[in-house]
This record gives sequence, structure tokens and C-alpha cells, in this order.
Amino acid sequence: MTRRMTIAAGLVVLSACAGQPKDTITVSEPDSPFIAFNVWVKAGSQNDPAGKEGLAALTAALLADGSTTADAYDQILAKLYPMAAGYGSSVDKEMTVFTGRVHRDNLEAYYTLFKNALLSPAFAEADFERIKAQTLNFLERSRRYNRDEELSKELLFWMAYRGTPYEHPEEGYVESVQSITLDDVRAFYDQYYARNNVVLGVGGGYSDGFVERVRADFDALPARTVTPVAPPQPAMPDGIHVLIVEKQTDASAISLGFPIDLLRSDPDFYAMMAVNSWFGEHRNSFSHLYQVIRELRGMNYGDYSYIEAYPAGFATQVPPTNVSRRSQLFEIWIRPISLTAPGTLHDRTLFATRAAVRELQTLVDGGMSPGALEAAKGFLHNYTVNWGSTISRRLAYAIDDAFYGMPGAGFLASIRPGLAALDTATVNTAIRRHLQSGNMYVIFVTADAQAMKRKLLSGEPTPITYASEQSAAHMAEDALIAAYPLPVREENITILGIDEVFERR
Amino acid sequence: MRRLIGALLLLAAATGAAAQQDGGIFPFDYRLVELDNGFKAYLINAGAPGQIAYLSVVRTGSRDEVEPGKSGFAHFFEHMMFRGTDKYPEYDAITAGMGAARNANTSNDRTAYYLVASSEYLEQIVDLESDRFMNLKYPEPDFRTEAGAVLGEYQQGALTPGRWLNEKIRETAFDRHTYRHTTIGFEADVRAMPEGYEYSISFHRRFYRPENVVLVLVGDFDADGAEALVRQYYTGWAPGYQAPDIPVEPTQRATRRKIVRYPGRTLPILSVNYKAPAWSATDKAAVALEVLGEVAFGPNSDLYRKLVIDERRVQYLSGNFGLSRDPDLASIATMIVRPDDVAAVEGEIQATVDRFKTELVDATTLDDTKSNLKYGFLMGLETAQNVAFALIPYVVNTGGIEAVDAYYRTLDTITPEDLRAAAERFLVDSGKTVVTMVQAGGER
Repeated sequence: MTRRMTIAAGLVVLSACAGQPKDTITVSEPDSPFIAFNVWVKAGSQNDPAGKEGLAALTAALLADGSTTADAYDQILAKLYPMAAGYGSSVDKEMTVFTGRVHRDNLEAYYTLFKNALLSPAFAEADFERIKAQTLNFLERSRRYNRDEELSKELLFWMAYRGTPYEHPEEGYVESVQSITLDDVRAFYDQYYARNNVVLGVGGGYSDGFVERVRADFDALPARTVTPVAPPQPAMPDGIHVLIVEKQTDASAISLGFPIDLLRSDPDFYAMMAVNSWFGEHRNSFSHLYQVIRELRGMNYGDYSYIEAYPAGFATQVPPTNVSRRSQLFEIWIRPISLTAPGTLHDRTLFATRAAVRELQTLVDGGMSPGALEAAKGFLHNYTVNWGSTISRRLAYAIDDAFYGMPGAGFLASIRPGLAALDTATVNTAIRRHLQSGNMYVIFVTADAQAMKRKLLSGEPTPITYASEQSAAHMAEDALIAAYPLPVREENITILGIDEVFERR
Repeated sequence: MRRLIGALLLLAAATGAAAQQDGGIFPFDYRLVELDNGFKAYLINAGAPGQIAYLSVVRTGSRDEVEPGKSGFAHFFEHMMFRGTDKYPEYDAITAGMGAARNANTSNDRTAYYLVASSEYLEQIVDLESDRFMNLKYPEPDFRTEAGAVLGEYQQGALTPGRWLNEKIRETAFDRHTYRHTTIGFEADVRAMPEGYEYSISFHRRFYRPENVVLVLVGDFDADGAEALVRQYYTGWAPGYQAPDIPVEPTQRATRRKIVRYPGRTLPILSVNYKAPAWSATDKAAVALEVLGEVAFGPNSDLYRKLVIDERRVQYLSGNFGLSRDPDLASIATMIVRPDDVAAVEGEIQATVDRFKTELVDATTLDDTKSNLKYGFLMGLETAQNVAFALIPYVVNTGGIEAVDAYYRTLDTITPEDLRAAAERFLVDSGKTVVTMVQAGGER
């Protein structure tokens, strides 16, 4: 695609620019002292060969974090250091991106390093061993022991996409990463890092002719035939399917969700964006789930929902970019539920889960009220300006626009008009089309998995207690939540030990 | 999977680092509004059109938790600040109506509250923020409910190796000063929080006072209008800050060692800490120590090259020599690949310390490090929120932002001899605390 965008104050203005190089996306902001790069390679973890899961991520990491034919890795670090600049890679299911930002004082020296990293990698054995060891440490230890809530989300996607190219985590499995060789990395690079498979993004205060130069440099890559991967077709689960990961812990992580047929480029998207914002805006007290579970009941730190993939949500207030996908889940994230005395961990865990499922069904049954819709529209009207606050983010959104084939001036610029056009009839039709609560995957990371399983199968109420007296109305609603049906068949409950998680395919 | 190469400060400069010969490094003009009650507001026009970042820094954090059983309370109190007042009982709903991004966070030395919003809401925000700082009100049941959310926050990171280790480092290195506990607090204290309602009222009365709070307003606004609003809404705030009597840490006399067993899986983490002086913009010894941390243990250091890149004996190496309001720790951390290599890696760190006590760093390395620190600061000034946040440490340590320019002027004067002197003075065995975290039950 060919386009050029100028952005001020979060408002995107599209201006056609004849003669823009092919497969190049620019966000020109001539007054900016920064230049941002975002190089999109059209390959992700879905392109990993069977048994070599994690190869796309390892390849990108080796380029971003390794030597080039011009400089050894330590020399690269030394050259970047005085600029306080760097570059990084990010690999998702469908996309690999390399991003960086630099002050224009340092552009020439920086660009040489950035370009070499992508076009002239050394594939040094020592770099490969270092990165592979770091990846394995992440897989064997950090992923399993750092943050149960993030692990529960990864497991939700794993369950929902079994049997599809989205099944495995981007980082791969322990055994698959162990099997990856430097030759595998070279072959992956040769296959996908091709001039017809790479889109260049440049943003900020670059000078005339710079973009053409970058494109010419990257045109030195050979052309390759890249076979497209068919979009995943995840099946809707039949009923509630539960995965319990057993771990020594006194808090439970909970994720639940199901596939939805909804992408950013679909007509229903803005309706569902408003619905989701009201129901579960990310890390925001505006979220209805947050109000029900945290604010009123103090059960945990927050409760949110999603209509697009949102990895590493614990670390960011704004949506991740460059995680564009052709299939998405509706996802609810219930932050860790802790054990407080009196009460049992599993009762509290299931109470919070029941509360979330019940609220979801209430939304499906009753739809959004005009007041709730207006509140969501009002909130998002200004709040979403934050999503494009930096040049790097505006450029990343432009890359995602290219992925989705967003019409007009792109996603960020379409949010306000998209929301303004909504009415309750449209929104409530979209809710009924996309949401339900009978079929879903539920992931628990918790202690004593067998006890949890028994409690689930028993169907008995799971009440909670409070440190202070609550109103009669509050207690009456609690009784409804505690007994809310969560029907699960025994054959649909899977138990895994923590050290089995993502060990192998 | 996301990775970042190069400096942690992956930022660009609002102005060239070289272009600060006259004036200071801070590239924006600002106006200081000082009220008779001691309240200070810094008004800075920067960032994108139509946006403001409204940052209130309370110079109270977990450092101020001097009473036994009250660790974590500054952070808990931060949560209560969102529970409303008589005038505006629905703080969340009002700010959501603006579409404002709003949040808060607490650390050792401060609690910071912010909103990022459209400029059109400036007056409403001044009204809302001044009101909750002056007139916060919440019933006891709300207080007890919020305590549950804080416990949840404690739990969501409780078993991460970093938190586990940091708790043990602080308990080992400090005897009396409140840096002995982390900001989130001891678990027993967090669990006891529902009983602390009366204490919370006194916490607000003593610390949420105009002399102890600094407003940093950054963005697109009319400065005269903003000043008038600040005067209108904050003048009625009665002074009365009662500084806590924070225990002075006695001088450490000998190296301390502790082995911590982590209940999950981890490679061994070695943490070497030295007692460091308080932050200063003008004390060359303090600034030199911060620079030394970068030179000796940063991503461009010889030791990083050796251990991380060439020999691959550690997964990472970092030097965190950023100083605090009171004397704190200068820390070196590394994750070691082979458990039987821990002692040898500690030896490498010690050899590096010894080397910097005797050898002078070369001029290029020092210049590159200064450049990195300056660009690192300047490149973070892209948005109004970035600018406001970049100023927090200066507000915390000095009560104002004037020290930004002073700090970078001092940085310019640092010589190789200053680094050697800082190493000799501060990186001493008698001030050292070594904590090694290993996996409980050993590596399988």
C-alpha cells in the first residue's frame, strides 16, 4: 500500500502522496525531533514449522539482539549507548515488527545500525546460544512462576486455538525451542525476510528523500514466494471447558473467553468497542466488571474484558500495537483472587467467576441502556486519544491499519465518527450477534486442582464473606451470584501441573 | 515476545543534548505559582495540542510509614483517594465522563496522582483534584472493602522473583530506616489493613497538606488562566503538614550476607548492594556514584560485555545506582546460569569494584555515559504525561523542578577522578549487603 499520514493532536489526516515507494507507510511530522521506525515482516508464530514452535520469535530476537556482518553485538551496544537509543522486535501470531526511535541528531549513525540488523545479520553462534538460553529460561521458569494471571491468558488462547496455527505461544514450547538450530533460523530468515514480504514504516521528523533511501536499501532483500497461511477457524466450545493448572499458591488466576467473529475492520467493531468499554475497559474503574467484583466487593485488583488480543496487559494502560490477527477471542480477565480469612480460596475463585459470567449473561439478555451507551461513547471520545500519544504508537497503528486494510484515515481517526454513529439498537444487535455465556473456556491457575474440580462438579453455591457488614440488597445479590449455574461436564475438565505447562506440543 | 536492545532509556530528545550550552537541559519554559499556604504549582506548556497532564505529587510514600504494623499504608491510602468527597462523591464517574486517563502510584518517597485529559476540562480538574486533596471522605465499610482490593494487588505480584528478593534485600540491609520495608508492605500488615480506618483519617490529616504536595501541570493551556485557577482553588487549603520522625539508619559496620530460598523456579539471582548517600543535584560525590553504576555495570560496561555477551555466564547484569531522598542502596543484580558459578560471578563483581577504586575510567567512556544520561532524559519528553513523569524525582527529592538543570550541570563537571573517589568512598565492604536468591529445593 502507499499512503502518507499527517497527525496532530491524535487526529489523523490522510493526504495522498504520489510517488511514495511501494509497501512503505509514513507518518510525517516535520516538526518532531524524533524519527521512529516500524518494519513489519509478514510472518509470525503461525509460520513456525511443526516441532520448531518459537522459531519466528527466536529469529527476530537474534536480529534485534545480535551481531551484524558490520559490527559485533558488543560494538552495536557501544554505538547505541551515547544516543540512549535502541531497537527491538516483537513477534505475534501473524506479525513480526522491528521498532526503534531516535533523535534526529543521531539519525544517520542509528539508521546504519538498524538497517544492518535486519539486512546484514551475522547469525553468530554465540548470539544464538545466548538468546536461546534466555528464551529457555523464560519458558522453563519465568513463564510458569512469574505471573499466574499472564499465564492463564496464554493458556486461554492455547485452549481456544487447539489444532490451528494460532495454537502455540509465540515463544514456543520448551522442547521445540530446544530443537531449534541456527540453520533453522537462517532458513526462516531466507524464507520470510523478503522484499515482497516486508512493509517499512517511518515516522516523525525525517528529511526529504530519506524514506526513498530506506526503501531502496530494503529492496536489496531478495524476492520470495510466500505461501499464505489460512486464517484460523477456532471452533466454539460446546458448553464450558475448564483447564485447571495446579500450583502452590494462595491466590487464583482466572481467564475465560471464546472465539468471536469480529475484527477491527468489521462494521460491528465500534459497537462492540463501546459495549466492551462499558463492560470491561482495560485497567479502568469505568469497567462494569471492575465495579461489581472489585469496587463493591473488594475481591481483587481489577476485572476487565477484551475483544482484541491484549498481551501483557499488566504492564500497560494503552492497547498493545502490532498484535493484529485474523481471528480474535472475547476474553475476561479476573485478576488474582486471594484467600482471606474466613472463606476458602476456591469459593472465592468460583464466586468471582460466577459474578463475571452472570454479568455477561445479563448484558446479553438486557443489552446496553441508552445511558450506559452514552457514557461509553463519552468516555471513549477523549480516552482513545491516549492510544496514539507518541510517534511510535501512531506509526504502529498505521502498520496495523495496513494489516486490516482499514479504509480512509485508519483506525485511530475512525473511532470518533464510528462511535458517534452508534445507537442502542445497533449496539444491542451486535451484542446478541457476538456475545453469549453458555460456551466458553475457563482457565484457573490455583492450588489443589482436584478439590477445585470437585467443587465445580458439585454445583454447590460458593459464597464469600466480608470484613464489614453489607446491605441486605448486597447480600441478596451475593446469594444469587454464589449459586449462579456454572454447568461443567467432568470430561470437559482438564488438569495440568505447572511444570507440564507448555513443555511440548 | 518483546525485546529491547541497547539502553533501557529508549527515548529521544526534545532538543539536542549538545544544544544546552546556555540555560539548562530542561527545554521548556515554566511558571512557578507559590501560595502562602506552601502549595507550589509548576505550569509547563509542552506536548500535543489540546491535551493536559495534571500531576499531583505528595512527598509521602512508604518511607513515611514509621509506625509498627503500618507498612504499605501510603499505598493503601492512594486507593482511598478515589473514593470521593461530599461535593463530588463519584470521582470515578466524573473523570470517566471526561474520558480522562487517570491513575496513581506510590513508591518509597512519594505518592503521585495524575489525569491526562482534554484541555477543555482544566477548570473542572483543578476543582476536583483540590477538593479531594482537601476534603476526602469515605465511610468505614468502603475502607474495609478497598482493603480487599489492596490485598489482591499484593497477591498479583507476590510470587514474582523480583518482589520476593527485594523484600529480603531491604530487611537485610536496613535495621531502622523505613526503607527496610517495600512500598506494598509486609503481608501481615496488608492483611490487617481493614482495621486501620482511624489511622487513615490521621494519615490524610498529617500528610495531605499544601506544604507537602506539588502540582505539575503540563500541556496545552493558558498560563495566566491556569494560575488564576490554582490560586482560586488551592488557596483555602489549610497548612499543617507534620513531618514524620523517620529513624536514621545507623552506620553499617560489616558486610551482611543472606541466602534467600525462592518457592518457585528461578536461576540464582545475586544482588550486591552498597549503602549510598541521599540524592543530590549538586553534590559531586553523589552524582558521580550514579554515573559509576552505569559505567561499571551498565549495558556498555566491560563487565556486561564479559559476563553477558562473551562468556554468557549470566542472563542479565544491571547496576541500579539511582539515589533516593534518604540514604538508600546502590544495587548490582545479575542472574547466573550455573548455580555453581555464583561465587565466581560475585568475585567478578568485586574485581570490578576494586578496579574502579584504582583505575581511572577513560574519557570516551565517561563522555558516552554522560551523553546517554542526557539523551535518556531528553528523549523521554515527548508527551505532556512523559514530561510530568520525568520531573517526579526532582519534585520528590527537592520539592521543586529547579534541580533538573542543576543536576545536569553537575553531571557535566564529573571527571574520571570523581568516579574513582566515589568508588573508594561508597563501594566499601563495611557498607555491603550480599543477597543470593536460589530455588528452594535446588535446581531440578
